[in-house]
Amino acid sequence: MSELLSVTVDDRQVEVPKGTGLVEAAQAAGIEIPVFCYEPRLGPPVGACRMCLVEIEGMPKLQAGCTLTVADGMAIKTSATSAKAAEGQEATLEFILVNHPLDCPVCDKGGECPLQDLTFRYGPGNTRMSFSKLTFDKPIPVSPLIALDRERCILCYRCTRFSEDVAEDGQLIARNRGAHTEIATFEDEPYRSPFSGNVVELCPVGALTSTLYRFDARPWEIQNVPTVCTGCAVGCNTSATIREGKVKRILSRNHPEIDRGWLCDKGRFSYPHLRAEDRITSPLRRGRKGLEATSWDEALDEAETMLRESRGSIVTAFSGSETIEIAYALGRLLRGGLDAHSAVLPEATSDALEAFRMPLSAIGEAGLVVVVGDDPVVERAPIVDLWIKEARRRDAEIVVYSPTGSETTAPGAGAEICRELASGKSRVANALRGAERAVLVWSGPGGGGGARIAELAHALGFADKPGCGAFHLPAASNPRGVALAWAVAADADETNPEPIELLIVSGDDAASNPDVRALAELANRVLVVTMFHELAGGWADLILPATAALERDGTSMNLEGRVQRLRRAVPPPCPDELAWISKLAARFDVGLAPHAMGVFAEVGEHLFKDLTPEDLGPHAPLPARHAYVAPEPATTPAPVEDGVEGLRLHRYRPLFSGPAVERVPELGFQRPDRDVELSVADAEARGIANGDVVLVSSNGTSAELRARVNRKLVAGVARIADEHAGDLHPSVQVVKA
Amino acid sequence: MNDAQIQRLRKQYPDPLSAVMPALRIAQEQNGGWLSPDTIREVADALELTPAYCLSIASFYDQYRLEPVGRRVVEVCTNVPCALAGAQQVVEAFERELEVTAGSTREDGEYTLGTIECLGGCGWATVVAIDNRHRLRVTADDVPGIVKELRGA
Amino acid sequence: MPEHPQIVFAGTDGGAVLDIDRYRAAGGFSALAKTRAMAPDDVIAELEASGLRGRGGAFFPTGRKWAFVPKPEALPKPHYLVVNADESEPGSFKDREIMLRVPFRFLEGCLIAAHGIQSQHVFVYIRGEYEREFEILRDSLEAVRKDDLLGGVTVVVHRGAGAYICGEETALLESLEGKRGQPRTKPPFPAIAGLYAAPTAVNNVESITTVTSVFELGAAEYAKLGVENSTGTRVFSLSGDVANPGNYELPHGISMRELVYDIGGGIANGRELKAVIPGGSSTSVLTADDIDVKMDFTSLVEAGSSIGSAGVIVIDDRCCMVQLGIRVSQFYEHESCGKCTPCRVGTKWVTQILEKIEDGRAAQADLDLLLSVCDRIMGKCLCPLGDSDAIAVLSYVDRFREEFQAHIDLGRCPFDGESSLEGILAPSAMHASQGHEAAHV
Ligand SMILES: Cc1cc2nc3c(=O)[nH]c(=O)nc-3n(C[C@H](O)[C@H](O)[C@H](O)COP(=O)(O)O)c2cc1C
Ligand code: SF4
Ligand code: FES
Repeated sequence: MSELLSVTVDDRQVEVPKGTGLVEAAQAAGIEIPVFCYEPRLGPPVGACRMCLVEIEGMPKLQAGCTLTVADGMAIKTSATSAKAAEGQEATLEFILVNHPLDCPVCDKGGECPLQDLTFRYGPGNTRMSFSKLTFDKPIPVSPLIALDRERCILCYRCTRFSEDVAEDGQLIARNRGAHTEIATFEDEPYRSPFSGNVVELCPVGALTSTLYRFDARPWEIQNVPTVCTGCAVGCNTSATIREGKVKRILSRNHPEIDRGWLCDKGRFSYPHLRAEDRITSPLRRGRKGLEATSWDEALDEAETMLRESRGSIVTAFSGSETIEIAYALGRLLRGGLDAHSAVLPEATSDALEAFRMPLSAIGEAGLVVVVGDDPVVERAPIVDLWIKEARRRDAEIVVYSPTGSETTAPGAGAEICRELASGKSRVANALRGAERAVLVWSGPGGGGGARIAELAHALGFADKPGCGAFHLPAASNPRGVALAWAVAADADETNPEPIELLIVSGDDAASNPDVRALAELANRVLVVTMFHELAGGWADLILPATAALERDGTSMNLEGRVQRLRRAVPPPCPDELAWISKLAARFDVGLAPHAMGVFAEVGEHLFKDLTPEDLGPHAPLPARHAYVAPEPATTPAPVEDGVEGLRLHRYRPLFSGPAVERVPELGFQRPDRDVELSVADAEARGIANGDVVLVSSNGTSAELRARVNRKLVAGVARIADEHAGDLHPSVQVVKA
Repeated sequence: MNDAQIQRLRKQYPDPLSAVMPALRIAQEQNGGWLSPDTIREVADALELTPAYCLSIASFYDQYRLEPVGRRVVEVCTNVPCALAGAQQVVEAFERELEVTAGSTREDGEYTLGTIECLGGCGWATVVAIDNRHRLRVTADDVPGIVKELRGA
Repeated sequence: MPEHPQIVFAGTDGGAVLDIDRYRAAGGFSALAKTRAMAPDDVIAELEASGLRGRGGAFFPTGRKWAFVPKPEALPKPHYLVVNADESEPGSFKDREIMLRVPFRFLEGCLIAAHGIQSQHVFVYIRGEYEREFEILRDSLEAVRKDDLLGGVTVVVHRGAGAYICGEETALLESLEGKRGQPRTKPPFPAIAGLYAAPTAVNNVESITTVTSVFELGAAEYAKLGVENSTGTRVFSLSGDVANPGNYELPHGISMRELVYDIGGGIANGRELKAVIPGGSSTSVLTADDIDVKMDFTSLVEAGSSIGSAGVIVIDDRCCMVQLGIRVSQFYEHESCGKCTPCRVGTKWVTQILEKIEDGRAAQADLDLLLSVCDRIMGKCLCPLGDSDAIAVLSYVDRFREEFQAHIDLGRCPFDGESSLEGILAPSAMHASQGHEAAHV
């Protein structure tokens, strides 16, 4: 506990810990010091806007309250008791309004605008400015997602500080100097950063607005529904803004341990997929002339028949983004009612990690972060990337073992690295062993990553070090929750049905997964639950419409192992999964509640004994660590054959991919370019320069891509985003086209 | 700009970011006196920064130019001490002799004429910078001779 | 005219000493040898005893500033000495002449200072427009290196690129770090967290060069020069409507009359003295009636101005004070870094109101508004740049109110196109980076 200091704010005395800022100290006294530029999440205060001027006893000049921390006995006077401070704040607002257009009636921010509010409270009654204001023609497209109305900008530099000091993307900048200063990007290039949307929320005026939300709603006509993002396994806390039954935008709901109020653009901007053109709202059945619409009653009859005829020989392919309740309900129906115990998930997960649990925010305070795995953290769990950056800014050492990391490794080397670190000869291994605050992260596919990183943490003795922990970044948002719910739905071992009579494909991610498609080739019949026609139109025998996460009530377990509550932001355009699963289940004498909280009560009995939905609260708590249970040992992966002169194809799944992202044209520019990344050595050996068009080929298939020489990439591989790698085989030739 | 040059610059400083100003200066000198978008991209690449970051720096300082300049650049200080000594007349004389208005570049790309803030030569007014070399105590009468010299060069 | 002791310019005979052997032959680098034989704390103590105060503008005691830099044992980070050679204040051109004429005395001062604060790293931030001065420093530094005088200290000459604000010490540090030259909030002060967040002393070129002189003479001897509170000599930059403009090294406390008339040769062309700006354009103007003020820190404060950077601008009776206000305000508007609101917006607004007055379009209320806007800038900005504009303009109105009033009453400039600043030109928008005025409606 740090030392308490006593300070007076206006007429009130408060005690606050040493190091507390004046703004927070005043808050503790129930007094507002108004701010614009001050935002502690952006780093140290900059004192730019001068909104926070206060008088401090013993100091002749007004002080920018945001830049100071308390001293014992300090007497602070805000505008409430100091005429000088009041004059200072009025002066600042007058200067701010000199160039501000006051177009509040047509501004998206109107009604929820700090400038509007503070002007009302502290501002001058009228304007003394008689010269023409700066105006600009039209909103400038900072990107397809963000518009900039320059004349509204008050130059608080929140947006540029976010870009430079939080996302560290170096894209959104202040250009020029003095009165000519303006927010800009380079040339006309879009602000391309996985986190760009945060600047819209940070902007205290209507200068940066979301193109998807512009002119769509006014603050007094909307409702905000608190829910949780399922774009990845971080589980950021969000608010969905609803108007007339439609989701209009997604805002952050700041869970300080998880997301600190940041969202990635996938989570923030992919909601328009709810209204995608190929969205399915009623069941479809394969008839003589292909897929035909059918009624729910007929569809359920059909499903019942399929299930009865396939009894036992059913495989369920999960997306890993289902709610715990959906997974449990499917488990009860299929396992309890039909003895169908076989399921596939996109990636293995591991419960062993529960022994090394910690909040994500602990990464920001770590002294050493070691990342293992093929994928950049940002592609799998973007907010984790921000926490790691935060740690680095606080002088933590960050070591990344990956094909593009600080320690370059060949793809697929993660398990081996973990073994090496555990046996402890290298400098990093020693540092890990000695560290009081160290975090391990597995960021990549395959290799049973969760288990491997847990074994390493165990070998390092992390279970007994509260400052040390380990995370696995899975490819889906709720794979642990799904696996656990499926596991407790019945008590029997998994079987491997051969042949597969029926493949049940649960959700869009499963439906778009090539491995699942391959499985479908082996199955007699396929039942697909999906939102989008395009995903299953060609190969499903029966399609049942799915709901989106924003249309679901239920729970989800994030990568920390924290169970969080999803709330239905808008009603789905069709009966939801739990509604029809419970009906089907009844036909097999399995009783299931048709709503999430009913199912939660049942599944919670098995999984979360002491947890009620209320405990999940607005901000769910992190469960305590469990004792370590050794995971299944590693199976040696089949060695990848290297081509004689070829390069190894290194596919990766970019953050901006998947069925939802693909359905939002405005997100298109965030998706990876048609690039193949090559190491400097491999490019030079082939006479390839950055930007050259090259032909990547293997066994008869080929793709024309643009070469990007990546100085960080390990030699011997060709790195290509999944969506551009098509059917290429693991060994490829790359030549200049 | 060659790599060795850049790396030498970076090594001068405990934090290589400090090399951005000297790197921009060299790049500008090698690119005919201004920083084109491509030049900025090259600097960014060499320093492992973004072009946007380099632009935010380049646009802050007056000496970096983001538009093409003439073969010769003439800048007249017009701050108070020089103005008291008749800097206005010097500017007008240059406008006449160079046939270009202050603040612009002649269409044939020969000359850029500008006015500039205090050059730190107030006691030797009027100060005129020609390609960054200062001429002191310039009067309007000196201008035709100076321009003749520029033409010759 | 009495002979005044030359200590900063000692040994130059009015010329320059660019040859290291010549400098050495005249006793150069003896102060360095002497101080290197002293404990750093003793160097600082002796400097404090000399009474030397900063020549960059704020007049802060140099020894005390060094004493604020934590000892390396207390804060084990690299320590830095940063020399401010950004000299850009209108009216000031002394650092330039020091670098041109006594570069070795300056570099010797850098090395003494580095020893005093126990630093191994010196950065000299020189304004980008100083081409010749940069070359001389570079060559002189090479000579010092060759003569093995660096003693393990690295000296890097870093060039600015045209931004007056980089003279402000924290903006300078930002710029040196490769960022936009925008001031930081204080605390933390540079002494604790300066360059790269490490302990840093920032000193002006003249201050550092005088350090050498202090140790050449001995602190006691040095302190005998000048007057109480303002010891030693000062390089006064004399410019404007005076017969013999230039830099003059004179003891503090000399009268303005002596400076302007005896040394400067009086007002040029037989005109009459109207006003004097005593310490660079950011200081309050004085009138002809103040001509007997002593040129030292205390006397100038008592006279309602400040010694600033000792850039003395002499103004004769042809000058319109409204035009002076416009030109000075334009400068601060142009040089505002754009970080804090009152400076960015206020300096421009002040210029606009002044232009309205000069054009004869102003009503009485505009004059009140001008004063009010200046008041609203004062003391509310992040750094002193905005204040400079307000202080200067307020002083013009305060001391020459009837002239401002005449513009309003007549509806035109009373100088009728005959002011010496007539047709004055603001910096042209030749830099693309300063464009976008077309956006005005
Ligand atoms: C706007 C502004 C511009 C300044 N310009 C300079 C300058 O060009 N040269 C300088 O030495 N000090 C300048 N200063 C003062 C510096 O901030 C700092 O006080 C000085 O360099 C300290 O050195 P000294 O203690 O030796 O005087 C400026 C201050 C401000 C606020
Ligand atoms: S655009 Fe908004 S966030 Fe960015 S500087 Fe302007 S007002 Fe601040
Ligand atoms: S909130 Fe303090 S200066 Fe902006």
